[in-house]
Amino acid sequence: MESVLDTSGLGKRYKKNWALRDCTLSLPSGRVAALVGPNGAGKTTLLHLVIGLLRPDAGGVRVFGESPHDNTKLLPRIGFVAQDTPLYRDFTPSELVTMGSKLNRGNWDSDVARNRLAQLGIPPDRAVRKLSGGQRAQVALALALAKRPDLLLLDEPVASLDPLARREFLQALMGSVADTGTTVLLSSHLLGDLERVCDYMIVLNSGRVRLTGDVDDLRANYRQLVGPRHDGAPIPGVTEIVRQSHTDRQSTLLVKTDGPITDPAWTTHDVTLEDLILAHLVETEIRGTHTAWGVPA
Amino acid sequence: MIWLTWRQHRQQALFTLIGLAVLAALIVPIGLAMRHSSTALGIPHCVKLMGDGAYLSSDFPDKCNNAISQFTNQYNIVNMVGVLLLFVPMLIGLFWGAPLVSREIDEGTHRLVWTQGVSRGRWALVKFGLVGAFTLVLSIAYGLGVSWTMTPLSQVGISRFAYLSFDMQGIVPIGYTLFAVAVGVLAGTIWHKALPAMGATIAVFIATRVTSALYARPHYMSPKVLTRPVLGPGAAELNPAHGDFRVHEAVRDAAGKIVQDNAQVGCPPTVTKCGGVGKGAYNWMQYQPGGRFWAFQSIETGIFIAIALLLIALAIRRVRRIS
Repeated sequence: MESVLDTSGLGKRYKKNWALRDCTLSLPSGRVAALVGPNGAGKTTLLHLVIGLLRPDAGGVRVFGESPHDNTKLLPRIGFVAQDTPLYRDFTPSELVTMGSKLNRGNWDSDVARNRLAQLGIPPDRAVRKLSGGQRAQVALALALAKRPDLLLLDEPVASLDPLARREFLQALMGSVADTGTTVLLSSHLLGDLERVCDYMIVLNSGRVRLTGDVDDLRANYRQLVGPRHDGAPIPGVTEIVRQSHTDRQSTLLVKTDGPITDPAWTTHDVTLEDLILAHLVETEIRGTHTAWGVPA
Repeated sequence: MIWLTWRQHRQQALFTLIGLAVLAALIVPIGLAMRHSSTALGIPHCVKLMGDGAYLSSDFPDKCNNAISQFTNQYNIVNMVGVLLLFVPMLIGLFWGAPLVSREIDEGTHRLVWTQGVSRGRWALVKFGLVGAFTLVLSIAYGLGVSWTMTPLSQVGISRFAYLSFDMQGIVPIGYTLFAVAVGVLAGTIWHKALPAMGATIAVFIATRVTSALYARPHYMSPKVLTRPVLGPGAAELNPAHGDFRVHEAVRDAAGKIVQDNAQVGCPPTVTKCGGVGKGAYNWMQYQPGGRFWAFQSIETGIFIAIALLLIALAIRRVRRIS
């Protein structure tokens, strides 16, 4: 399948710390992809590299085959809602739409933004700073959608919203990309928000990609096995043990499979996406900060 | 981009214009009052009597000397207050230059505006260009206004070529203002918060202005020298009508060695010793003739505009590379 976004060995460093490292992934066209990881995992860094706000320190990033940094051919095709939805606070929503039309020749469609904002009941002439967080997020989304983007990037779009506004925001988002075929990449540190809307998954932690793939494939390929205490011998059908926990007599394994588990000693269970993601997040190295804190390890 | 720049800065432009209007409301009445007293004291007539000799002729009427000293005593304070005006270009740089890029990044709106279909280079060029043009107009108005106000005073007392006077009239305020704005803009691309950028602007502006005024300006053209014997007519009292710029003065002995720096002495020819020096000693003065005023103004303005353009080019480069 044609991919919209490709990175290879992508890395970004702030001073000595790598915020993102060895990131190689590709996002197929038409997907709604969730970029999941805890705070500080490198999600914002990855999105900023994709939109060209940052330039890579290692590897490369290609969007529709082009490098995105300061690329005015590409930028009108990518909608971007940055974290905390930055907008000019003394502008009115209507002025922001005008701004969008002045800055994006070509594909821009002011009516898309106006219709959306009208439907959502957002006043056109009230300064943005007087709008609620949810309304601001909607304005930012409307501006991104008015580009009629081929790729839409959203950085923690729902983080500052209450549960009701979250649901409304995601519904509005899905409603508008459903029939345009826009590829969406949205980040969150809460999977719960995204599980219902995404069909593709990228899990980041400590600046590295931990898991990536189609949600249905992931669900199909991972299993939880419960059986007698495991001694490390290979289990037919299992290609990788992601996480294991043992009691005296019993082992619980989260495994990647390439076929049915035929050994009757093991009981298999389906895994939820949440289990799968958590399993991939815990296997990170915890950097020793004991010396930095001056306490014994 | 033009619309966006106008929309973002129209309020600030309004406040700036109000500020300048208040300033004008202060200095225009002073200028008018000075012209009124100048005429009342008969000073325009005295200025004619000064002639064009290098020194004031000895038959310059006492009446005129009195009128001039009365006038300068009354209005010297204007020159003191005028010192405050020297900071206007810096203020423009602080409030128009320093926040231009830094506030955008500090408030995160660069993530909005740099991800639209306008390149950062064009964004910077249009913004810097329009803000530059606006502050250019402000500085022209400022320079002309102060020149007009100070004219009566610079005819008789403090030369417009002297330190401080030179710095706030004519065309140099244009150079200083554009320079201050450019320093602010560049500082904002280095420190992405308005306050540190403003602090850097103050430091760089003052340091550059002081250095250029004290160490570069006297040497734009090779100065002329006037000498006069100590015994005799006395200290070289230059004709104020010329509006010369005194660079350096000293008393030298017959061998030409400086015996008193930054001083002039004069005694009647009948004495043999005068202020510790004797026969053959002379007052020595290095000066830039008043006729070079506009040449010096152009040179200084040119230097500051050139530096400003260089800084803006660097700022655009930095904006394109911010990552």
